[in-house]
Amino acid sequence: MGTETESRSVAGSEISANDRTRLERAFSIPRGRFLLGIPVALLILLWSAGGVGFDFLKLGQGSLNMVDFLGRLIPPDFSKISTILELLLETLQMAIVGTVLGVVFSLLMAFCSASNIAPSWLYYPSRWVMNVIRAVPDLVFALMFVSAVGLGPFAGILAMTLGSVGSIGKIFAEAMEAVDKGPVVAMQAVGASKRQVVQYGILPQAAAPLVSYTLLLFEGNVRGATILGLVGAGGIGLELTTAMRMYDYGHLSAIIICIIVLVTIIDQGSALIRRRIT
Amino acid sequence: MRPNAATVPSSEPGLLLNNAQLRSALPLVSVRGLQVSYDQKKPVKVLDGVDLDLFRGEVVSLLGASGSGKSTLMKSLTGFAPVSAGTVRVAGHDVLNLRRGELRQLRSEVGQVFQQFNLIPRLSVLSNVLTGALHEAGAINLVGGFSSAHRRYAMELLDRVGIAHKARDQARSLSGGQQQRVAIARALMQRPRLILADEPVASLDPKLADSVLQLLRDIAVQDGIPVLVSLHVVPMALAHSDRIVGLRQGKMLVSGASNQLTAESLSGIYELGDHDGN
Repeated sequence: MGTETESRSVAGSEISANDRTRLERAFSIPRGRFLLGIPVALLILLWSAGGVGFDFLKLGQGSLNMVDFLGRLIPPDFSKISTILELLLETLQMAIVGTVLGVVFSLLMAFCSASNIAPSWLYYPSRWVMNVIRAVPDLVFALMFVSAVGLGPFAGILAMTLGSVGSIGKIFAEAMEAVDKGPVVAMQAVGASKRQVVQYGILPQAAAPLVSYTLLLFEGNVRGATILGLVGAGGIGLELTTAMRMYDYGHLSAIIICIIVLVTIIDQGSALIRRRIT
Repeated sequence: MRPNAATVPSSEPGLLLNNAQLRSALPLVSVRGLQVSYDQKKPVKVLDGVDLDLFRGEVVSLLGASGSGKSTLMKSLTGFAPVSAGTVRVAGHDVLNLRRGELRQLRSEVGQVFQQFNLIPRLSVLSNVLTGALHEAGAINLVGGFSSAHRRYAMELLDRVGIAHKARDQARSLSGGQQQRVAIARALMQRPRLILADEPVASLDPKLADSVLQLLRDIAVQDGIPVLVSLHVVPMALAHSDRIVGLRQGKMLVSGASNQLTAESLSGIYELGDHDGN
């Protein structure tokens, strides 16, 4: 049968008998490198877990402390709700401004680092700059800007903007690279300029993922803004830390509940928008 | 606004030119000794010594097996293929010696229709047609604004291809035949001096294919625009074109008036050779 099949093959498309048998077998035996890969991956996992002192026994013992901590959060104390709402609003405002600025700069960086738009002399330095920004934690940026412009939300916004460029700039660039080449070819064929090719051939196709990633960035920035407050960069984070330090568990609980409500509303809203645009 | 249609050099406008009239006119496209090789290290040439003339008002079909060089020949006419030898003259342009700006000008004068339509899926049908005028739009289209004159002409073209009622719809919501009509309208929006259609009906059923080819033929006859169309189906080429050029392994095997050729005389184009299918 094999010979008969081979005799029917188009010239140049023959396959060896061994390969054919292998491909036609119902159950394939895993390749050597796959069998070797599993124990290697396990060894790396065990090495990492040992290095960081991961211990299920300790987790079990610690769970009692966790229950105790969670117990102290009940009941929540909403007596300072006006302060919480005010700071939450500031957090939201920080996230809005940080996201808009972040998206603007990320788009600029994405144009410079999309291989189907930028020349190689611009592509590689832009990618490198984004890699460097991504490697630095937002908290470090926050500390840097707090020392530069002082305590408050402005420092937080600057940190958030810079952090956004690192995280979302690369994703924007990849969304632009992933567009269907057909419309791009068509725009080149009508004699469009480079800017017109980007405007008509690339951006309309990448619009849906760009908006989707922007919403994800905004959600992330709302959560991130609470962390930035820990180093004095505005938002509700500072109030959260203060409540923990003062053992004011009722107030802490109220803050956490308010953050959860805000994040949930934003998550649901952006999920709704994402469904509409895709 | 009317297209800058080249007038058919005939005493009876609107009628197909006879062979004598065709020969007496200067060709709009003149290709001599064309050689194309994508990989200079390999001896195999995608096109080898191809000659081609295209006259106003005629439809010329390119026939040939996959890999025979049909698409490459079309790309050569607009400077998209790496030509290694020969001359290519299109509408007065020496294609092989054009600078970037001049190449864009040439491309803006050549309407192209693709197998996969290459429309911008999320944009409206009208916007897709308008992109054909990008070379005229200049800086004004930075915010997507085309002039009323452009819009009126685009609607006229949509009327002509029988799809004006879909002007507001997103291109992606249209059927294949409708999308190809939009693509033809986009090509006409360029006020082209030549139309290249690379397998424009390969994704369509026979009835739609027939209507699209008839539309291209009407354009050639009424506007005097030469149409070079690559096809796979011999009877379609015989029915819809004035002349047929057959390629095999990058070489011109057949060239003649379609009324002097038969399916049998063209069968040699599809005989398997050493490099077919590669």
